[in-house]
Amino acid sequence: MSSWLDHTINGLIVGNVYALVAVGLALIFGVSRLINFAQGSIYLVGAYIGWIAVVQLHTPLPLTIIVVAVAAAIVGLIIERFGLRPLQNSVRIAPLLATIGISFVLDQLVMLIFSPNPRALPSQLPDVRFQVGGGTIGPLDLLIAGVGLTSALLLFVFLRYTKLGWAVRATAQDRDAAMQMGVDVNRVNQAVFGIAAALGGVSGMLVGMYYNQIDTAMSLQATLKGVVAEVVGGAGNVPGAVIGSLLLGLVESYGVAVLGTSYRNLFAFLLLVVVLVLRPNGLFVSARQAPPEPLTGTFIAPSRPVNIPRWALLAAVAGFAILPLFPVSFYVLQTLINAWLLGMLALSLTLVAGTMGQVSLGHAALLAIGAYTSALLSLTLAVPAGLAVIGGGLMSAALGTLLISPSFRLRGHYVSIATLAIGEIVALVILNWESVTRGPIGISGIPPLALFGYDLISPTSVYWFSLAVMVVLALLQGRLLTSHLGRSFRAIRDDDIAARAYGLSLNRYKSLAFIFGGFAAGVSGGIAAHLYSYINHETFNTQQSILALTVVILGGLGNVVGAIVGSVALVGLPEVFRIAAEYRILIYGIVLLLLVRFRPQGLLGTV
Amino acid sequence: MSNIDRRILVKGSLAAMMAGTAFSRAALAQSAEPILLGVSGPLTGPNAQYGAQWKQGFDLALDEIHAAGGINGRKLAYQFEDSQSDPRQSVAIAQKFVSDPRIVMELGDFSSPASMAASPIYQRGGLVQFGFTNSHPDFTKGGDFMWSTSVSQADEQPLLASYAVRRLGLKKLAVLHLNTDWGRTSRDHFVKAAKEYGAEVAVTEGYIAEERDFRSTLVRVRDASPDGLILISYYSDGALIARQARQVGLKQTICAASSVYSPKFLELGGEAVEDVHLGTRYFPQDPRPEVRKFIEGFKAKYNGQEPDAFNAYSYDAMNMAAAVVKIGGTDRRAIRDAFAKVKDVSSVIFGKATFDVESRRVKGAMNAEIVVRKGQFTLWDGKPT
Repeated sequence: MSSWLDHTINGLIVGNVYALVAVGLALIFGVSRLINFAQGSIYLVGAYIGWIAVVQLHTPLPLTIIVVAVAAAIVGLIIERFGLRPLQNSVRIAPLLATIGISFVLDQLVMLIFSPNPRALPSQLPDVRFQVGGGTIGPLDLLIAGVGLTSALLLFVFLRYTKLGWAVRATAQDRDAAMQMGVDVNRVNQAVFGIAAALGGVSGMLVGMYYNQIDTAMSLQATLKGVVAEVVGGAGNVPGAVIGSLLLGLVESYGVAVLGTSYRNLFAFLLLVVVLVLRPNGLFVSARQAPPEPLTGTFIAPSRPVNIPRWALLAAVAGFAILPLFPVSFYVLQTLINAWLLGMLALSLTLVAGTMGQVSLGHAALLAIGAYTSALLSLTLAVPAGLAVIGGGLMSAALGTLLISPSFRLRGHYVSIATLAIGEIVALVILNWESVTRGPIGISGIPPLALFGYDLISPTSVYWFSLAVMVVLALLQGRLLTSHLGRSFRAIRDDDIAARAYGLSLNRYKSLAFIFGGFAAGVSGGIAAHLYSYINHETFNTQQSILALTVVILGGLGNVVGAIVGSVALVGLPEVFRIAAEYRILIYGIVLLLLVRFRPQGLLGTV
Repeated sequence: MSNIDRRILVKGSLAAMMAGTAFSRAALAQSAEPILLGVSGPLTGPNAQYGAQWKQGFDLALDEIHAAGGINGRKLAYQFEDSQSDPRQSVAIAQKFVSDPRIVMELGDFSSPASMAASPIYQRGGLVQFGFTNSHPDFTKGGDFMWSTSVSQADEQPLLASYAVRRLGLKKLAVLHLNTDWGRTSRDHFVKAAKEYGAEVAVTEGYIAEERDFRSTLVRVRDASPDGLILISYYSDGALIARQARQVGLKQTICAASSVYSPKFLELGGEAVEDVHLGTRYFPQDPRPEVRKFIEGFKAKYNGQEPDAFNAYSYDAMNMAAAVVKIGGTDRRAIRDAFAKVKDVSSVIFGKATFDVESRRVKGAMNAEIVVRKGQFTLWDGKPT
């Protein structure tokens, strides 16, 4: 029984750590309705500034905290001023993408300056331990709890009783009205970003001291857990974020207690999905509050898509089709094969995210389902590879739609977060369901692609095969968009209430979109599995989902040709920058930011 | 000038440009025509630290090879392409290397998914893929162009089990392992060997690479009341587990796999890793001449920094590549055949490395039983902790 007490205490301790990130995220979301994916990067920057202060300058702890808070706040202000403010009148999705780009840039800068090796960040507190239950807690646990609670309390007081706090809340409620009442919205944003960044930086430093370890990989994990905790507590609700974090810590800890360590994150993401389905606004958002996401029609930029004449498209397809007949290197072909595979995924995502308005951040899961199905069909049941790929597509369509269906009732950002969680859940199930997926060992020896008994082995044949599959899927999708289905999809995206009033069944159309999208993504995953011959749970990861979303936004949401152009660009750019070695992801991040800044509707415009 | 000529010219000058930057990266621009090896590995992304360590080992080995006259008078150089350990990028790099006639063989990738996704391309393209950290047991089954000096876990884990069970006398073990292909394979070999030696494995816990908090896991470990903890970890997670184990009051003996062998383990773990036992392939005071040369050379080149396991793997890999190229020349097939011919290549990990032609791996890794004492790795003196 005493272990339960210990698991409870451990859960609270970890939740305590998550709370520091979640509070910053909640604050920013509360004011600008933005999930700040750069918060984890500020956390990272804070940890390294802390390292400089402690190890190089030997500052005492109170001074270290002040130095880190000020430095991180400056970084936050710079992000707000140069990264986000220019996007103010742009579409809602632009700042979201900008924060992803900013986090790339910050993470890479830290990695280049400090090298990717982990460093020790010694705690400056005395090393005494207090016995609690079967375990112990130290002064740093208390400090972290203190910082978390104090900052939540201070924020509460600030928001409720100060003039700037009122301005913040007014801006959060109705930006335009606040401006009309004379609130300087920019100053409010600045204040919020400064505070959130200071908090993020200090929390990165404290967590670094807590584990005596900082490294550049800590950023993404912090963002993921912070986002989960924040949404569980109710997006934009500061005390809710603290309670959500503690709850998350507890659920993880009990999950480990019952089933073992490798199930830990599974519980975190299941908690998120359950909360989103039962209480879409989070646990602690009062019913009185207006729904925070009146996003219909505003999330996606209305723009006139670039009209590409039919003959130009035909010429482009023909040009790519005869490309292998010229003396191009296999390296170029392989890069384009990657682009076509990503293109299929992007077609899928542009349909559900662009045309349907369900911005998914877990699309790699569809790849994984398709890949595993196809690999297992051909290995264990000796299904020919060509058929197995189709089987992968069908399984991905069916299973993907089933898994995603609980999130059909959600809107806007919440869809993204639910799909992110579902994507993680699929990856963790693959890791743990060893009797089928072979767990971390993965599946090796997957036979190469074959069509009508002929093995497709040479890069040229794989190139033609993947190009042909992608073109067929693109044509089908183009046809779909011009049919009544496409019009219904867009009607639901633009105004779901009006669409429902006209008698459109939202769930049915969302399912149809995911079935078609799931098929395209599953086929892409299936082809990849046969191409690589080996897959495991790490082959299709979160970064792949984020890349797909970037492609779709870059090309123009809902734009079929745009998705393909975007894939070629985003597979090609890192290859072109190869010469820049360690700097290439940094350059990629900057290019992404510039694109978001100057062409938020995407290269070819939304459809 | 005809069109075709011009295209070849443009291609040629482009290739020269690319080659130029690659060589200057390897800081070996002096020679006109070095023999070029391709390296596919992570320089950015979550595994970037390991790519950086590879480079240190490679560069040290190259310095020594060139000081000894190079490969029959020619220099050896490598072109490091960043794959982020991502299979999508490693397959593109594979095609790039295969279609670049200057590349005579390839080294890497870091992780098993990235390496094994590229294997079919290397196999069909007839370019040797020489792995040295990708530990998947099936890696060399990809074809006769796949060779590996990665220490087989079937070799390593029984040694660790013997250290823990026979030498340290632990009878009831808790195994914590990284839940990757490497961690799983290692765990299975370890558990099998430990049972053979008469120990009981009370609990095994797999954790994902990004995990930082092990308190709940350690409560499970405590409840199984083992008399020893086995860590199948890398140095950063190993240090985290050791620290948290001591913080929650677990005082059992800790025994770790050789992959924690790194000065960073001591730095990150601090006092908590004191008395941690580990089986390694070499140790700082190791009297073997190849180890002395490696450690002293490394410290001289990198400002007194202590080398770690990954530095040693890449150092050995470059020396092995040099030995192979010495026999095989620059023909890709001859290089593949040369792997079967090299004998007794001086190696930090194996002492003398010779490939087993059947499995295309090297057997018989060296073994040293060491322990952390006063913040230093030292040979275990046989005294209980």
